[in-house]
Amino acid sequence: MSLPDEVARLKREALERIGKTDSLASLKELQVLYLGRKGLLTAVLKGLKDLPVDERRHVGGQANQCRRQLEEEFKQAAGRFASPASHTLIDPTLPGTGQRLGAAHIVSQTIDEICRIFYGMGFEIARGPDVETDYYNFEALNFPPDHPARDMQDTFFVEGGRLLRTHTTPVQSRELEKRKPPMKIITPGKCFRNEAISTRAHVSFHQVDGFLVDEDVSMADMKGALVAFCKAFFGEGLKLKFRPSYFPFTEPSAEVDIQCFLCRGKGCRVCQHTGWLEILGCGMIDPAVLEKAGHDPEKYTGYAFGVGVERPAMLKYRIDDIRLFFNNDVRFLRQFI
Amino acid sequence: MKISYNWLRELTGLDWSPEEMGDRLTLCGTACEHIESTARYMDRVLVAEVSELHPVPGADKIQRAVVDTGSERLDVICGAPNVAVGQKVPLATIGATLAGDIKITKAKIRGVVSYGMICSERELGLSDDHSGILVLDPDAPAGKSLVEYLDFDDYMLTFELTPNRPDSMSAIGIARDLAALASLKVTRPTVDLSESAESASDFISVSIDDPLACPRYAARVIRNVKVAPSPWWIRKKLWTAGIRPISNVVDITNLVMLECGHPLHAFDLDRFGSDRVVVRRARDKEKFVTLDGSEHELTENVLLITNGITGVAAAGVMGGMDSEVEDNTTNVLLEAAFFDASIIRKSRKELGIVSESSSRFEKGADPNGIEYAIDRAADLFCRVCGGEVLSTVVDCYPGRIEPKTIDFRPRRCNTVLGTDISTDRMRRIFTDLEFGVGGSETLEVTVPTFRPDIEREIDLIEEVVRIEGFDSVEDSVVNIGALFTPTHYEDHFNSEMRHVLLGTGFDEMVGHGLADSRFASLLNPDLPQVRITNPVSEELNIMRNSLVHTALGVIGHNLAHRNMDLRLFEIGKAYFPPADTSDFHEEERVVLAVTGSTPRGWRGNVRPLDFYDLTGALECLVDHFRWPQFKFTPRRISFLDESLSFRITAGNQPVGWVGRIPGNLARKTDIKQSVLVAELVLAPLIAVSGSLVQFRPLPVYPAAPRDLAIVVDQRVSAGEIVECVRQAAGDLAESVNIFDLYAGEQIEKGKKSVAISISYRSPSGSLSGDAVDEKQRLVTGSLKQMLLAEIRDK
Ligand SMILES: [Zn+2]
Repeated sequence: MSLPDEVARLKREALERIGKTDSLASLKELQVLYLGRKGLLTAVLKGLKDLPVDERRHVGGQANQCRRQLEEEFKQAAGRFASPASHTLIDPTLPGTGQRLGAAHIVSQTIDEICRIFYGMGFEIARGPDVETDYYNFEALNFPPDHPARDMQDTFFVEGGRLLRTHTTPVQSRELEKRKPPMKIITPGKCFRNEAISTRAHVSFHQVDGFLVDEDVSMADMKGALVAFCKAFFGEGLKLKFRPSYFPFTEPSAEVDIQCFLCRGKGCRVCQHTGWLEILGCGMIDPAVLEKAGHDPEKYTGYAFGVGVERPAMLKYRIDDIRLFFNNDVRFLRQFI
Repeated sequence: MKISYNWLRELTGLDWSPEEMGDRLTLCGTACEHIESTARYMDRVLVAEVSELHPVPGADKIQRAVVDTGSERLDVICGAPNVAVGQKVPLATIGATLAGDIKITKAKIRGVVSYGMICSERELGLSDDHSGILVLDPDAPAGKSLVEYLDFDDYMLTFELTPNRPDSMSAIGIARDLAALASLKVTRPTVDLSESAESASDFISVSIDDPLACPRYAARVIRNVKVAPSPWWIRKKLWTAGIRPISNVVDITNLVMLECGHPLHAFDLDRFGSDRVVVRRARDKEKFVTLDGSEHELTENVLLITNGITGVAAAGVMGGMDSEVEDNTTNVLLEAAFFDASIIRKSRKELGIVSESSSRFEKGADPNGIEYAIDRAADLFCRVCGGEVLSTVVDCYPGRIEPKTIDFRPRRCNTVLGTDISTDRMRRIFTDLEFGVGGSETLEVTVPTFRPDIEREIDLIEEVVRIEGFDSVEDSVVNIGALFTPTHYEDHFNSEMRHVLLGTGFDEMVGHGLADSRFASLLNPDLPQVRITNPVSEELNIMRNSLVHTALGVIGHNLAHRNMDLRLFEIGKAYFPPADTSDFHEEERVVLAVTGSTPRGWRGNVRPLDFYDLTGALECLVDHFRWPQFKFTPRRISFLDESLSFRITAGNQPVGWVGRIPGNLARKTDIKQSVLVAELVLAPLIAVSGSLVQFRPLPVYPAAPRDLAIVVDQRVSAGEIVECVRQAAGDLAESVNIFDLYAGEQIEKGKKSVAISISYRSPSGSLSGDAVDEKQRLVTGSLKQMLLAEIRDK
């Protein structure tokens, strides 16, 4: 092979290997291998002295050009591996400055999440007072006075003959009275129960109730809507169990259990080894409730449901003490940022 | 409520496993919560004979018993008062685990090595009776396992019943649902009663003063009963129901109650005190001693069974001490009555007693179940206690309560459920539930009086879906109802406010809404409070009338846990009682609070969070919602420090306050560092929010910036300076900003140096230097004149 050809080959080979290096160290090695004092190019050029003077000058010029070109290539390639410090004083591992983001309370986040799902199905929001009348909280919802069903809900009473609502269903009583069907409403809010405060119970909690009244609403519609909600909120692929229950304002009434999303039904501590979690109550609005609000129960039917907020949040995030929600300890709040 | 699994099998003939039975019942509305084996504490428990008893030196409460298991004789220490030589007893041997997690090991007690334990009912998990050991029959074979001897391989099913289903508070009631699920019929125990010639009516008469409270009262007389412990088959049924066996007479009334759901009461006829039963309301302050020995002073809310003179039983709740059945009772007056649910509810509340009887009556018993209940009990008195049942039921039932007949449209049922169940299937469900069915297109369903919860067609529809199962209802995928979701500005408003504040770095709190009246009075002495009449504690006895209350509590909690740097907000309600003509009033508010310092970071500049951190966040809200004329005016606010206390107005309406919490108030919630709060009332802010933005064309001509430094009295506010500049410069002043503020060295005491940058711009052309200078002269002139400012050279 002629000397110029040899130089050209070395150049091609060097360029190819520069392209393939993956670290600064190996690049440096490569540079020494080709351009070092005992490098390959130097070795080839040793043959220059054997050439005629004219040719020597010509080939020598070519070789020097090749060396400069390779030196430039090595420099360029080294740039790929340069550490930031070698360029500027920016350290991206330092935390950025400016405002930190505040943490949304997990109760509001959960309410938002539930409401968003029902918005998607065409429900609108309505709200009502926390300090309620006996009429809207109980009587309009078909709780007869002095009935055992009232014992199911330990009630706080306030001076002036009112009470603290025990569920957000009184908003249903009020809206039913005010409007004409079709109605498709959810009622998020605070509720109160006169219970001793413990890890499992608090005097206050949140609920999202909802109801739909129209012509020809059936239990199948209710099941469809609630199954869709559970899928959206808890995730796909979990079995649901509707079992008959009792609420004075719905008939038939049901409670819905969902297959435990932690153990997928196998049984664990959270589901108390039953494989199921109780998540909501529902039913067809009792005709007496519709009638009290001035709607013809032969013409209109409807369904109603109530979803807790703290309880599903506790299950979902494995929070083991309901008091944490109301202590508002920032170490708790900022976990859910 | 607990019921024996074997009992349910006996009544239905079903061979389902306990788990299947529990699951199927749960899915038809009788929720089975728990299944336990009756033998769970009987492993390694044997029948043994007490052969010898010896005192233990130095211990007079315990004895050393030598017990014989047939294969060996063991020493065991026993403390029961009723242990005696020759008794057959249940012996827990080493390795057994009894109720209450008692593990039997070889144990040395007072120098005696004990090789087991003679068990009480409680230790065997049968009842709460721990008064002595369980004594077995004399012929019990020593060495046999207790489970085998008692033939007690059973399960206790625990049910969580809904208050509308009194009928399922009995074995037959639950069996009826079970049978209906399998399209079977319940087999009730047959009653084969042989009555004596004498008539009970010769011994007792019944009169009812208040037939609304007591629509029916029936009585039988049984003579010559022999009171003794019940046979095992009765005791086992009571045990699985969690009821303590007492004696055959009492146990039979309890057994029949468990069986058919109707509470009965047995009086000792010889101690009844007369030959007549009079049912009446108690007189005010009338005294009565219940059989648990406690004396009650009654009111007319209590219905009383009397002997014409004094009370003998609190009707439907508990019997009296004086006529209680005792060991020497021979003649029994057996009561089977029907009391109105609401009077029993009132009675038991007044007496403070909840009994098996009251909990059944107050949910609604069956007035027509009395015949079966009283005859079944009489039959057992005869067969088990050797009693002689007199003929005639003395039955006072002035107005017979008839079963209701309800029209039922199968089509309507399918419409409401969204199902396609055949009429024949519905008819079958009703007959399986022991309802009568007539009619063809519209069914006429006769509902027995044991189902007081069924009054209307919709209640029958529920029966259909309950037995058919919710799985028969498809999940419709049609989204019905209104298709458009109107949204309300209030909802957006709250949600947007939350997100703006989160963006400014404040953490969100959620309060429970209850508060402490005393602390609230310290914060706002003149503000009325909504008082809770039955609070859980004195610290939670009102509804909060300010969100500051909650914020201080939360800050106190956090500081106590060494979370020292806080920026918090809450959007929630404050509550007010009616005033003059107004009703109860709830006000949505937002509270912001800061305490401590900005976070320590690598750029240093840690500084205490202060007033401007609060107003900075508020200004983000002002910008977002475009609240007009948002202003702070010094004003004394009861819960704020005099030196830092402002009223906030927007659009000239008062909307809130901002300032520092004084030290004495802060200390009440264990806060020892400076806390600043702002509270806004949302309603007036919503009213002035969200004005429509009017687009201004982007500027075409260049701006001319000018800076200006002045020295003014410290009391002159930044707002006044900016306003003064704007007035003087007019429309040409595009923006006026304060960019430096200084007081201290080189500035006269009581004064401050203020640097102002003004940007001049005209929409109609480039401003000449002269024009700007002219404006600037007006501005300096005005500042000198209006604010007595001294213009500093640049
Ligand atoms: Zn689980």
